[in-house]
Amino acid sequence: MTETVQQREAAPEENPLLEGLLVRRTPDPCVFVIFGASGDLTQRKLMPAIYSLAYRRLLPENFAVLGAARTEESDDDFRTRMERAVREHARDPFRDDVWQPLAEGMRYVALDFADERGEDNVADVLRELDEQRGTEGNRVYYFAVPPSAIATLVQELGKRRTADGWVRLVIEKPFGRDLTSAREINEQVHEHFTEQEIFRIDHYLGKETVQNMLALRFSNGIFEPIWNRQFVDHVQVTVAESIGIENRAGYYEQAGAIRDIFQNHLLQLLALTAMEPPIDFTSEQVRNEKVKVLRSLHTPGPKSVVRGQYGRGFVEGEEVPGYREEPGVAAESMTETYVAAKLYVDNWRWADTPFYVRMGKRLARRETTIAIQFKSAPHPPFEESAVEGLRPNVLVVHVQPDEGVSLSIGAKVPGAGMQIRSVNMDFLYGGAFRTGLPEAYERLILDALLGDQTLFTRTDEVEEQWSLVDAIVAAWQRDRPAFPNYTAGTWGPPSADDLIHRDGRSWRRH
Amino acid sequence: MAGTVAEIERDLAELRDSSSEPGHPPTLRTSVMTHLAWVPEEWAEAAELTLAGLAERHPSRTILLFPHAGEDAFEADASLQCFPYGDRAVCAEVIRIHLGGERAQHPASVVAPMLVADLPVFCRWRGQPAFDEVFDELVGVVDRLIVDSTEWDPDLGPPYAELAARFERVAVSDIAWERTERWRRMLANAWPFEARSIRVQGTHAQAALLGGWLSSRLGHDVEVEHEQADVLNAVAVDGAPIDAPPGEPPPPSDLLSDQLDQFGRDRIYEDAVRAAAR
Repeated sequence: MTETVQQREAAPEENPLLEGLLVRRTPDPCVFVIFGASGDLTQRKLMPAIYSLAYRRLLPENFAVLGAARTEESDDDFRTRMERAVREHARDPFRDDVWQPLAEGMRYVALDFADERGEDNVADVLRELDEQRGTEGNRVYYFAVPPSAIATLVQELGKRRTADGWVRLVIEKPFGRDLTSAREINEQVHEHFTEQEIFRIDHYLGKETVQNMLALRFSNGIFEPIWNRQFVDHVQVTVAESIGIENRAGYYEQAGAIRDIFQNHLLQLLALTAMEPPIDFTSEQVRNEKVKVLRSLHTPGPKSVVRGQYGRGFVEGEEVPGYREEPGVAAESMTETYVAAKLYVDNWRWADTPFYVRMGKRLARRETTIAIQFKSAPHPPFEESAVEGLRPNVLVVHVQPDEGVSLSIGAKVPGAGMQIRSVNMDFLYGGAFRTGLPEAYERLILDALLGDQTLFTRTDEVEEQWSLVDAIVAAWQRDRPAFPNYTAGTWGPPSADDLIHRDGRSWRRH
Repeated sequence: MAGTVAEIERDLAELRDSSSEPGHPPTLRTSVMTHLAWVPEEWAEAAELTLAGLAERHPSRTILLFPHAGEDAFEADASLQCFPYGDRAVCAEVIRIHLGGERAQHPASVVAPMLVADLPVFCRWRGQPAFDEVFDELVGVVDRLIVDSTEWDPDLGPPYAELAARFERVAVSDIAWERTERWRRMLANAWPFEARSIRVQGTHAQAALLGGWLSSRLGHDVEVEHEQADVLNAVAVDGAPIDAPPGEPPPPSDLLSDQLDQFGRDRIYEDAVRAAAR
């Protein structure tokens, strides 16, 4: 799924000289169209990722970028703005010989997404680019726009679809705001485009450490035999952010933590943790196994879900406002900025093994981890005092930061007598592989250019995710919690601690 | 300066202990592989330069063996090469051992106690091996041998035959072969052609290996015409020039780094060497 997709050994049947040569798969010539090109995502992530792909010669020779957004801007202004974005945000040093060929193929169209004439302009420029850059009618349309704009855009693109070349739609989360709207969008998109042409992006899946979960589980013989209810006491998934809503009140007031993180990133992490080994790493097989987990998720009762909203507090020593004090947020807002839940995967592997998940904004620190806590040794032959400092074995996958894996084990404290305490064995990605980790968007954009859907979310996955979220949100309609209920810079509301303490367990120490 | 393996181990332990300040997180000792290098005197400078370009990408235990004639000698110096990683440091270990006289005749017994257990061992052999007992002894403890036949004498038939005789015992990489990779890709793109002859402007090794490769892949003899140059500049098949590959050739440390990521045997290379040895 990773390098095997991009680099494969060439088939020697026809050309005997190709045998043994690793052939890097290069995407077909195409135009990369960004709807929402004036937005933050384009500047911070998309354009720097495209530059890094160009830096590594992973883009096709015939390639062009078309930016489209409401803002009036000339082609040159767009290039200048994108150059600034690359200089500021790309992980690779700025090189003129990389940038110039890329910039030469960049165009910009100002359009109102609801206005058909704008789409005509886009179509005209695309035709020009095909002629000038040899992009052969192939298109990747990247929707870096609010969900409300997607339907119109898709319809207009569908109407103008020609038989020339291939089309791929990359759609950012959230894909809808509930099951009904997700289905509506799916139907609208499927009216003009097939599922094989739709790439629903969840950038978490592009992270090396998330993919490493698959490597860890399925390339090591020691983990899979104990990766089940017999040996695992429980699993904790944490997606914690220390930042607030960063001037995105309009979006966040509608989404909340459950739609922003839980519905997508968190459930995907859980699915990768709990899934059965796929037959192979083709996109369909991996996604088949993930969707089975999502279907097996037991709908949690009201007592198994906690929501919270941050109040004023201190993060990294700096006083930060409460959620309701953020610009653009209603003074009585009931939007949740924190969710914790106890979930069960109802299948043979995981029956009765709780998955405690939590995510939130303005927490004590930024951290995404998946922690597998194993059951304690059944009968340690040591005196009780010897094992006072001993915790159960925990395997932690650090998704970010400090990307890597750690395993806590019991070890004897040096010296006379027998005292045992927990110590960590660390594998840090940067310690073993000193190449910089690629940005998630680099990987995902390249996969979209190559047509590899493995790391993108399929229709049925999205719908299963929304089914669970809808059930949780429906239960929330029946009560009105006293918000704010946690202080910014802490680990969430006390009720989240109660949720796990009730079972005689506790959240991991940080 | 250590004079025994035990002293080297003690020095390394002391270095590790002192590599982080009290109260700070301990440094990370990396264990990805053991990288051996057999470095006769005339290659010492080049080896150190390559190591400098390599260490950050492959932070492993590196053991540099400097053999020399004369009296028995065993002088070792251990050091750490540390690189910042967040609030910690990642450290690789470098052990330089000067072996003289009889000690240089039994290098395996010197390095065997210092190999990192359970991890692969790569040996970079600088210069042309004598294919003698010393060579075979060291090859016996490694998983992959990395040579650069560009560093060998121009009469490559006999040493290639010696090397080929060891393919069943150890996986071999040849940096000269890796330097032809970009051109092999261009040749593959230019195929089909008859290829009764190939003209190569480059090193002896590159000419021999490209000729051997075409011969082994196409199943017939290929006449090799060689024009000496320090780098591979031009290739023509049956008199027709092949387009030059785009971009610049990779630096030596990149080539060695790539080889340290390879684990299996390269059967295509082995066939090319056998054909070149004929």
